[in-house]
Amino acid sequence: MSGSDTQKIIIVGLPNTGKSHVFNSLTGEYTLVGNYPYTTVEVKRGRARIKKTSYEVIDTPGLHSLYIHSEEEREVRDLIFQERPDVLIQCIDANRLKQSLTLTADLMELEIPLVAALNSIDETERRGVRVDPSALSDMLGIPVVETDAADGSGGKNLREAVQQARRGRDTLVYGDIIEAAIEKILAQISEDLVCRRKLAILFLQKDPFLPDQIKTMYGDEVLSVIASAANETITGINANIGRLINFSRNKWIESVFDGAVERERSYLSGFSENFGWLCRHPVFGIPILLAIILLMYVLVVDVANVLAAFMEQTLWLPVEQRINALVPAGILNDFLIGHYGVLSLGLANAFITVLPILSVFFLAFNILEDVGYIPNVSVLTKKIFEKIGLSGSAIMPLVLGFGCKTMATLTTRSIRSKRERYIAIFLIAFAIPCAAQLGLNMSILGRMGISAFVIAFATLFSVEICAGLILNRMLKQEKQSDFIQELPRIRLPSVKAVLKKTYFRLYWFLKEAVPVFIYAAVTLFVVDRIGILGMLKDAVRPVMEGFLGLPVEMVDALILCMARHEAAAALVINLIENDQLNYIQSIVAVAITTMFVPCFANIVSMIKELGMRSALIMVVTINISAFLLSGILNMVLKLFF
Amino acid sequence: MSQNQEVDEYLEKLWYMKEEQTDKLEDLYKACGAGFSRETFQTLINHGLAEISADGKSVALTPKGEKDARQIIRSHRLAERLIHDALGGDFEAGACEFEHIVAPELVDSICTLLGHPRECPHGMPIPKGECCLRFARSAQSSVIPVAELEVGQEARVAYVNCDDDSRLHRIDGLHIRPGAILKLHQTYPTFVLECEGANIALDREIAKDICVWKPAAPVLAKVGRRGRGRKKRGWFRRMGFRRE
Repeated sequence: MSGSDTQKIIIVGLPNTGKSHVFNSLTGEYTLVGNYPYTTVEVKRGRARIKKTSYEVIDTPGLHSLYIHSEEEREVRDLIFQERPDVLIQCIDANRLKQSLTLTADLMELEIPLVAALNSIDETERRGVRVDPSALSDMLGIPVVETDAADGSGGKNLREAVQQARRGRDTLVYGDIIEAAIEKILAQISEDLVCRRKLAILFLQKDPFLPDQIKTMYGDEVLSVIASAANETITGINANIGRLINFSRNKWIESVFDGAVERERSYLSGFSENFGWLCRHPVFGIPILLAIILLMYVLVVDVANVLAAFMEQTLWLPVEQRINALVPAGILNDFLIGHYGVLSLGLANAFITVLPILSVFFLAFNILEDVGYIPNVSVLTKKIFEKIGLSGSAIMPLVLGFGCKTMATLTTRSIRSKRERYIAIFLIAFAIPCAAQLGLNMSILGRMGISAFVIAFATLFSVEICAGLILNRMLKQEKQSDFIQELPRIRLPSVKAVLKKTYFRLYWFLKEAVPVFIYAAVTLFVVDRIGILGMLKDAVRPVMEGFLGLPVEMVDALILCMARHEAAAALVINLIENDQLNYIQSIVAVAITTMFVPCFANIVSMIKELGMRSALIMVVTINISAFLLSGILNMVLKLFF
Repeated sequence: MSQNQEVDEYLEKLWYMKEEQTDKLEDLYKACGAGFSRETFQTLINHGLAEISADGKSVALTPKGEKDARQIIRSHRLAERLIHDALGGDFEAGACEFEHIVAPELVDSICTLLGHPRECPHGMPIPKGECCLRFARSAQSSVIPVAELEVGQEARVAYVNCDDDSRLHRIDGLHIRPGAILKLHQTYPTFVLECEGANIALDREIAKDICVWKPAAPVLAKVGRRGRGRKKRGWFRRMGFRRE
């Protein structure tokens, strides 16, 4: 236990059960929440104070049970074993109470004080299923708090419950065979180990990741003692141990469930179910998807672009005039509002060109996220994924790439096959635009008309498919990993939650991107003044103008790409406004800025997942391909237009 | 216990040893404990069911013995399945007697009724019978894979065939377990089913391993009136147009 007064709380739960909500409500911080699995991919730490005790609160990615299936879940379990928390909070979605109870059973075996945070009770009630928190609390012997995930109102109760957290009642007893086996192992291992009973059970289940972890925690000797005790015990049992354990546990879960729930048998139904069904439907699903994309397009082009133009008129032009009046033409004027000016290329681009587009786009995108639409529609893509060598487990990470490519790269940990992971990371880094890029691309192409939008996105789509097919050919075949994925329920999002999320996404964008925009502007300004930029442009002019058919000014955009893709997009928008890019050029520009150099954070996450060498090879391959493909695109387009 | 039943018990033990990949005579003694009967064991050898190696340390089933043992194990494990799934009882107690009294043809009928399960409730493999090889599937099967349900039908899970521990765990974690009720929502492009308040998307391969009790007749009758065979499933249907 931690020696000081600070106590540790770890928040765990199945994917998409509102863990981040609980984290936010305890710490008063904001982390991204959403109606889809894997919103949280990294462990987050925060502080909370309840009465006179201070707590360190740790938010974790989803976990199904302590017997784990992927590297990602392993991290959470390692954390529980190593941090030795004083309190565990398990988030439970009442809709999936039984599934959650599997994890509860596991957590209670750890003998760490536990609190259950129950949410979505109102939703189950509408379906005729009444979950009684106090009955549940009696059955489990731990505090159960109702925390409504949508508005976080149960915060106060939760704080009180944390202080009353206690170990559950030991009502889960296995059959004779298993209990005897546990005893036998416990008799042979040291008293000093934490969570001994659970360790013994996990060894009986032959957890594939456990030996490694015991080794890092306690060293080889302890591991060999436990492993030999377990092996000896296992050989004496003539049955599938996993099944016996599941059997007893399921009986226990049924009894808890029956004690805590009153139900009239009913199925998911009503609008949300029907809408979910329509979204996943191979015939209706595609028009719905297209309609939603079109709606986003219209919003970005007709609302955001108008807004941006309005802001330019009212906010930027007066400033420009004022500066021109105050500062005579010359180096200072150039530095402020020239071609590479700090204010024009730095601030104005961020606030006036990019911000309005992102505001509108994020608002729409966040609604989709909170509705739970995206994972449901991903079912449609299953067959395409099979063609490019990806089993279903890669669907979710790739789809998340449309949100943030860095996060998506980190979620590839949930893919068990190394080969599929490699393909998925490559495809995420390559031609998938992240949310910000997607919004800006819409805005750029919208200036050229919807046909440009369709051509550019069809190109990016086919590039992804081809890249997948080629990688699938090149890499050694492996056994495909299983696809079994829970789909979130379609919900009407709360206005407050969506606005809050949009606010934070924009806030983070400004916080992270504005300095980068400014530094990039200053760098370009300096490099331009020294003359290096001019030399560089002359050097690449043949490639740029000949092969890609783009004006040399696009070199600036490609340089900005390395810093921040939004900055590059803003520059492209400027070029279009100055009539320097025509129809074909705009499409090629969008294609190359989308594919060229994954953003810096993305590269870092690739290195983290693949190692330096593989990641760099991948980045170089992507860049070369981006160049070649854009050149080919340019030539093909010229044949038609 | 009759002599015959005792012989059967030894055949069973030798089969277990084979599963555990050991042939040491010592292990047989250990498995029998104090109840080891030299006389019965000798009968086994006299009937040509088992043989002891030249050095006297190993024991193995002869092909004839293996055939008999296979049948016994098959009956035993199928009986466990029957008692566990159909009657919801404690599967260990009843089965021991069962395997000695049931005729092979009856065993095959039970196997077909249960949809040719691959594992007993303990997760040990059930030796295949002739019916499994023919894959006799017909109106006689009361248990069918989820993959054969109609879209919109609901059914109770009988058992899950799965020899991969971590897959079994994953399926179990989503509460697709014996006794759970599920409803099939769509089968194309991937299977989507609803179980305990959650929608789950999964591969056809996994859907084949989840076996359910065949739903009650009315739903089937309605299908029949429309003149569609249960197995022939048009693309229209697979996409889930016929939604209840």
